[in-house]
Amino acid sequence: MNNRRMFMFEIIRGAAAILVALIVAMVFIFICSDKPFEALRYMLVAPLITNGSISMNSIYTILAAMTPIIFTGLAVCVMFSSNQFNLGGEGCVMLGGFVAALVGIYWSTGTYLDIVIAVLVASAACAAVLYIPAVLKVKLGASEMVSSLMMNYIIMYVVLHFLNHVFADGSKGSVQTFPFAATAKIPQLVAGGSKLTWGFLIALLFTLLVALFMYRMRWGYSIRMIGINENFAKYSGMKVGAVIILSQVIGGFLSGMGGAIEVLGRYETFLWRDLPGHGWTGITVAILAKNNPIFIPVAAFFISYLNRGCTLMATYCDVPSEMVDIIQAVIFLFFAAEKFLAKYRQKLVVAGAKEEIAQKTASTPKAEGGEA
Amino acid sequence: MFEQIITMVFQTDFAFSIFRITAPILFAALAAVVAEKAGVVNIGLEGIMLICGLFGTLFSFWTQSWFIGVLGAIVVGILLALMIGFFALKLHTDIILAGIAVNTMSAGGTIFLLYLFTGERGNTASLTSSNILIPTIKIPGLHQIPILGDIFSGHAVLTYVAFLLVFLIWVLLYKTSIGLQIRAVGENAHAAESVGVSVIKIQYIALAISGILCGMGGAFMSMYYSQSWNTGLVAGRGFIALAAQAMGRGEPVGTMFSSLLFGFAQALRTKVSGVQGVSSNLISAMPYLVTIIGLVLYAASTMKKVKKIKNKDK
Amino acid sequence: MGNNEYVVQMQGITKVYPNGVAANQGVDFHVKRGEIHALMGENGAGKSTLMKMLFGLEQPTEGEIIVNGEVVSLTSPTVAISKGIGMVHQHFMLVPSLTVAENMVLGMEPKKGVFIDYKKAVQITEEYAKKYNLHVDPNAKIIDIPVGMKQKVEILKALVRGAKILILDEPTAVLTTQETAELFKELVSLKEQGYTIIFISHKLKEIKQITDRLTIMRGGKSMGVYETAGITEQDISRLMVGRDVILTVEKEKAQPTDVVLKVRDLEYTDSWNRKMLDKLSFSVRKGEILGIAGVEGNGQRELVEMLFHLNTPDAGSVTVNGKNILGMPQRKIRELGVSLIPEDRMVYGIAASGTIEENMISDRFDKKKFNKGMLFNMNAIHKESNELIADYKVLCKSYKQEIGMLSGGNIQKVVVAREFSSDPKLIIADQPTRGIDVGATEFIRKKLVELSREGAAVLLVSADLNEVMELSDSLVVFYNGNIAAYFEDTSVLNDEIMGEYMLGLKRQSDEEIRRVCHE
Repeated sequence: MNNRRMFMFEIIRGAAAILVALIVAMVFIFICSDKPFEALRYMLVAPLITNGSISMNSIYTILAAMTPIIFTGLAVCVMFSSNQFNLGGEGCVMLGGFVAALVGIYWSTGTYLDIVIAVLVASAACAAVLYIPAVLKVKLGASEMVSSLMMNYIIMYVVLHFLNHVFADGSKGSVQTFPFAATAKIPQLVAGGSKLTWGFLIALLFTLLVALFMYRMRWGYSIRMIGINENFAKYSGMKVGAVIILSQVIGGFLSGMGGAIEVLGRYETFLWRDLPGHGWTGITVAILAKNNPIFIPVAAFFISYLNRGCTLMATYCDVPSEMVDIIQAVIFLFFAAEKFLAKYRQKLVVAGAKEEIAQKTASTPKAEGGEA
Repeated sequence: MFEQIITMVFQTDFAFSIFRITAPILFAALAAVVAEKAGVVNIGLEGIMLICGLFGTLFSFWTQSWFIGVLGAIVVGILLALMIGFFALKLHTDIILAGIAVNTMSAGGTIFLLYLFTGERGNTASLTSSNILIPTIKIPGLHQIPILGDIFSGHAVLTYVAFLLVFLIWVLLYKTSIGLQIRAVGENAHAAESVGVSVIKIQYIALAISGILCGMGGAFMSMYYSQSWNTGLVAGRGFIALAAQAMGRGEPVGTMFSSLLFGFAQALRTKVSGVQGVSSNLISAMPYLVTIIGLVLYAASTMKKVKKIKNKDK
Repeated sequence: MGNNEYVVQMQGITKVYPNGVAANQGVDFHVKRGEIHALMGENGAGKSTLMKMLFGLEQPTEGEIIVNGEVVSLTSPTVAISKGIGMVHQHFMLVPSLTVAENMVLGMEPKKGVFIDYKKAVQITEEYAKKYNLHVDPNAKIIDIPVGMKQKVEILKALVRGAKILILDEPTAVLTTQETAELFKELVSLKEQGYTIIFISHKLKEIKQITDRLTIMRGGKSMGVYETAGITEQDISRLMVGRDVILTVEKEKAQPTDVVLKVRDLEYTDSWNRKMLDKLSFSVRKGEILGIAGVEGNGQRELVEMLFHLNTPDAGSVTVNGKNILGMPQRKIRELGVSLIPEDRMVYGIAASGTIEENMISDRFDKKKFNKGMLFNMNAIHKESNELIADYKVLCKSYKQEIGMLSGGNIQKVVVAREFSSDPKLIIADQPTRGIDVGATEFIRKKLVELSREGAAVLLVSADLNEVMELSDSLVVFYNGNIAAYFEDTSVLNDEIMGEYMLGLKRQSDEEIRRVCHE
């Protein structure tokens, strides 16, 4: 049926999901705020406009927050496209950040090559890590979901072990590594105190690369076909097992890169004591982007905007910023609900089918055998 | 160092702590068992427990009754599980994604709700007093016996409940009609449907039961284990529970043993964290590693079995 | 309701599925109380659809169903059960890890307080088993018992739920000869106790043996009701296996040359322990279409699976142009020039939510022609898709359209376009025109002939007798996992001869059959 009509439907459906979430948010705001309208204004408008003019600083903050979740969103995109529920992105972000920091501290070359080396080593390490659940799934049929979840914790504790016992900077009050070399620090994109770095541009670049990979390269094509119908892929002659593994290795690579760029861009040392959560947000981002890499930055922007709005609302009004998680979850749930507005979709399909039949009967003679 | 650990392990307080630490994992793992038996994957255990933990504390604070607190947590657990059911079974959201959404919601949602209801931020330390915590029981008779008494007596009510539930869930699954229908639905939904069993209804029921168990698990954490609620309360126990279920092959008793294994590892970590030359972090990682190894062994053995059946046919 | 003669009356039943297939067209089906009534017909004749409506799994588009004199609306199996209708499905509806007794009482468990009264369940099972002379072990797990016993459990399950009318969907398909004989004894005894049995089958001997009357279906219509005693096997076969519309395809005489596909002594026993392929041997030569006719379930599907490594045989060999292809990855098999139009296009043939283009290139996307370094050569791919869409007259808006949104005929044209355009040396066409419109059917058939005349070897598997007889240069009939007959020249054939071989009434001598090996 009509592609454009379907596309419109998806947009309407997304808008409806967001609307439901905003209604939920409004209900909460009205319950807990004395000045609900101001709170709403902070949440929805303030991230862009403060005191009547566009606030660049706020926008920079949003863009900076987008950087890691673009990467994890892309990672989830690639992994889920092959129909693998690998949830190891979370651990990879932490590991990627840690490895990048170590490379930046101990293997510094004194040039800006440091960044490239640190990021690549970190990404490769994470790719290697997610190879494990992938192989276990393909060779033995062990659930990649459970084993990747376990990997997250193993990574976290191993990283903490090395952070606490091997690489800690004893002179500091809190546990952290030594600062990494200045040449390993990703430079800021704009002057001023914002955390927006060149990492953001790299994220956009990788969006393009992943989109190219998924839609313009044979491996990405195989990943998508396997995700849609594994039987079909096998019958067509694709190397199903190898491609499934590849998709998760790439997922690890991208998640690790997200972690590396976040740490090298935002901080001076590695100081995460816990899983940072970007991996999970990446899943939300990928769901909102309908697993299409090109939409990942849009979805990441939306999530970061929402976060920023809720932070501002919390700062200036009496509504805690954590409400954002509820809004996100509601949008997530409705976005992923196949049957949400299914009746409306059915109507569109029927209308499309009728149209098609009308066209067909006009163009070809009726194709039905006579009465026997 | 090794000697030091061995002596620690053979102390009664260590054995005692294993049960205390296992209980919340066991609640969640049994929740996973029931859901999985009905053919639904409830990966939202983590989030449900965190939210239930909060409501347990809140209800007990409002009513000044630990019992009503636990009941409140259970009711919230049921509602959340049914919500996952609604999205997964009715609106066809992938059930794994529905679970992830609940986990996403729980992280900040709890802080928000806590503020909404009490004005507190981040934790409930100021709300809790010892009279509304889950009480412990000294079992008469057993309590006086040396060693055994030290290990098995004096636990919280819910610790006993957790282990009792292993038996009760087994009875539920294998001795009652709802259990029979749950197993039938999970194994061959068409067969169940063909004799008039409503698959969706049974799956809702199984999810509700898993909600009840998560409710107790959450309440246990906030109203006994940590003595108050905070955001890091559950700390991955919901995910460990999924692994315990998989490792226990989805059976209540097997799941209890794998939960105990996790409990042992965590208790050991707490114990040895003070010992020179031992990394508590690495020990913390052990249970997860063991899970992966367990999964692999299980997967490999089922694969062999499949091959064997095939060979037998020939 | 006492003594009206008919227990089931289905009148003017029409069923049109959402995809537009009219599976039943104005069917009348009347069953008398206390009879064993056969419902016969080839696959796709509409008998399963009719029975699904009687068991509440599907609802008729038109027509009414009267059970015991009362017009009923059978909206679900539960309703059908409450009206005294029970069904034994071809694929058993049993839960493998539960015991026989537990399966028996599922959904209606006897209780003692909150617990299942398992003893009572066993007792009920034993009681019914005894009453109806259907011996089962109540405490055995389904997974451990033989197929024959599983079927008894299924029958008992229906009886214990109060069924007075039993629908048996090809009950003997999974049984050994002894088990079949036992089943028939049990069915006769049930009949004597006043039960009505509807028996779906296409095995003539069985039908003659135990049924009182029979209804024959063909092409979604009823071909009439007959007293079993008053109709010959030949007449049944003629009514069942006739052709409605004879479509003819113009084709020159084949000039077959070298053997391309060589299948020797292929054997396969499935997980139900049925011998699906029994020392099967044949060859297909360059430039000919070898047709495989036969009632479905006689090994055709298994054969095709083996040829494309979608399953592994127990013994035997398969070579293509002299190269052994058993165990070869599909990629390698395709590289040898083997193409497959799969039986079920939705399972293997396409990725439904992909675009037409993505489905067109699935076997060739990594060829040099479609890649420029790391990237796809999109122009070449678009060109290929557009050419194939034009050549194969796929009705669509553009190659970007989602393939799942196309009609069945157009989806099949995409599959065929892909499989035919890879310069195949051997084409395996499994039910190439099933369920698609006449226009697409004709088109695909012409293409198939065209390719064979250009030198491809074609193996055509089809349950559509018209198709297999018209298209094939020579033809084999499958029966029980083996070849029952080989006809070098299809022009001498008629429906009657075919029917007799397809339904197992006749079998050629081994020497005659051996000729298909071309040695």
